[in-house]
Amino acid sequence: MKILIIEDEEGLRESIEEYFTEAGNICETAASYAAALAKVELYRYDCILLDITLPGGNGIDILKKLKANNYTDGVLIISAKNSLDDRLQGLDLGADDYLVKPFHLSELKARVSAIIRRKMFNGSNVLNFNELSIDLMAKTVAVNGTPVKFTRKEFALLIYFISNKGKVISKNAIAEHLWGDGIDLVNNFDFIYSHIKNIRKKIMEAGGKDYIYAAYGMGYKFADQ
Amino acid sequence: MKLSERYNRVNLIATIVIMLITGAIYYQAISLILTNQKDNSLKVEEQEVFDYVKLNHHLPQVFASKDQQITFISAEPNSVKREFFNTTYYREKDEPESGRGLVSSVKVGDRYYKILIVESKVETEDLIQIIFGITIGVILLLLLVLVITNRLILSRLWQPFYSILSELKLFNVTDSREMPSPNTTIDEFNELQAEVTAMAERVKKDYKDLKTFTENASHELLTPIAVINSKLDTLIQTENFSEHQSKLLNDLYSAVSRLSRLNQSLLLLVKIENKLLNDRQHLDLQELIDDLLYQLEDIFNDKEITVISTIGEKEIDASNYLIEILLNNLIINAVRHNRTNGEIIISLTSQNLTIKNTGEQVALNPENIFTRFHKASTSEGSGLGLTISKQICESLGYQLVYSYEELYHIFTVNF
Repeated sequence: MKILIIEDEEGLRESIEEYFTEAGNICETAASYAAALAKVELYRYDCILLDITLPGGNGIDILKKLKANNYTDGVLIISAKNSLDDRLQGLDLGADDYLVKPFHLSELKARVSAIIRRKMFNGSNVLNFNELSIDLMAKTVAVNGTPVKFTRKEFALLIYFISNKGKVISKNAIAEHLWGDGIDLVNNFDFIYSHIKNIRKKIMEAGGKDYIYAAYGMGYKFADQ
Repeated sequence: MKLSERYNRVNLIATIVIMLITGAIYYQAISLILTNQKDNSLKVEEQEVFDYVKLNHHLPQVFASKDQQITFISAEPNSVKREFFNTTYYREKDEPESGRGLVSSVKVGDRYYKILIVESKVETEDLIQIIFGITIGVILLLLLVLVITNRLILSRLWQPFYSILSELKLFNVTDSREMPSPNTTIDEFNELQAEVTAMAERVKKDYKDLKTFTENASHELLTPIAVINSKLDTLIQTENFSEHQSKLLNDLYSAVSRLSRLNQSLLLLVKIENKLLNDRQHLDLQELIDDLLYQLEDIFNDKEITVISTIGEKEIDASNYLIEILLNNLIINAVRHNRTNGEIIISLTSQNLTIKNTGEQVALNPENIFTRFHKASTSEGSGLGLTISKQICESLGYQLVYSYEELYHIFTVNF
């Protein structure tokens, strides 16, 4: 996968680059409007992470250029402006998704993966991981071909894990992904554990492997070790 | 007490007191003048008697007269002192009248006589009464006119003042409407109006500056928070943490997410106040609440809270984003301030949405629960949740009310 990160804030840009760089991924970065424009004119990407406020210009204009040239790069807008207008404008202009700062890198990765999946599978939308086969449209999971019933949250969590496979995901990130921003009443995320336990149990009962590892009480990691 | 009432009262009392004093002085002066006149006429009569005696050397003959009686009484020589006096005048068969008399003396040859001249004062008194009556009448008329004109003039004069006052009552810092200037040529009111307008402008500008500041500050904070967040996410990928280190990291995560939520809440408040989120769409509240209850199921279970909901049908036109925040805030609030094994009762009708929860068995103060950063010391919330809820309700024209009855804290949204 080829990803372009257009973000002027160095700290954030580096973190995203580091998080996304792994086997099979190529990450390029641009820190200004001019640099970003030069890159999108020359190369095509699977997904472009686009900051709206850039030195030298507005990220929305880059999006317009892409669409004017009929480039099919996936575009995810990352912005500090949580304004509905920006969001709607961005999506109207053909951005695939919109994420407001601050966000968890795992959330960003999940969103980017979803965009790339949509582009690559052309609507078939079945996600395979070893013996697991997940139909994203029908929202069903099969282990070695045997259908396994997952609840809405378990399903969402499983996809989140697979999108971030090999990464430690903090409990905060999981909670925000499943329950949204409203979940500020809990400092102990014990109830996440019950979902994870269920996922493990269901996969293993259907003959699958246990891929979920607890990471020092901070979070969980989905990996095929 | 109203200004005009106060003014009229003072005015009336002062006028009446002065009129009474004037009346008394007037009465005294008139009766003094008239008595003087009477005395002069008595003196003329006395002089006539003296002249007659001097010429004829005997007392004049006394004729019966209507308004005058002269009596001669022989007396001891030099026993009579000349003086004027008030007396009663007896006319034949009539009622006694007040009269004015003069005692004098005359010597005819070697005989000494006391002269008593009495004149009726009835005409004089009539005159005084008429003059006094007219005066009183005029005074009363004057008072009446004074009160009426005062009332009319005052209410008309103060009209601009009242219009400025009603403008002030309607004043709202978030309102961009300008104050209308009253129709007046009176300098004081024009000056007042100018000052009030200038003050309103200043207040609005200060408020706007403050809002802009909050917005900018929150915006500027977003990027560093995003950096911290992403660095933490990166840091935990490095693995090999001790238990102590991971505890520290967990605390950092919690603090950063609180900071980020607080910041988002502030931004949201500014946006609601600036009416930046007024997109309206058709929403099915029943569906939204059911979804949310499903979403929060784990959180209810975690605290072993029983949720009893009777959700009727209700559709509204509002911003989806705001309504979700409102519902989320109210329900999360009912969980946060609940006890383990507590209860939440949610009911939705076409008139209102009520969310009841068990919790501390003391009513909250409805005065300040909606103010910013007001929260229980044990609360882990931002202290902005209810403020935001209230603002959302106000922006949609709903009412958010708190009440407490029989172990339940109740928040009601009246549509």
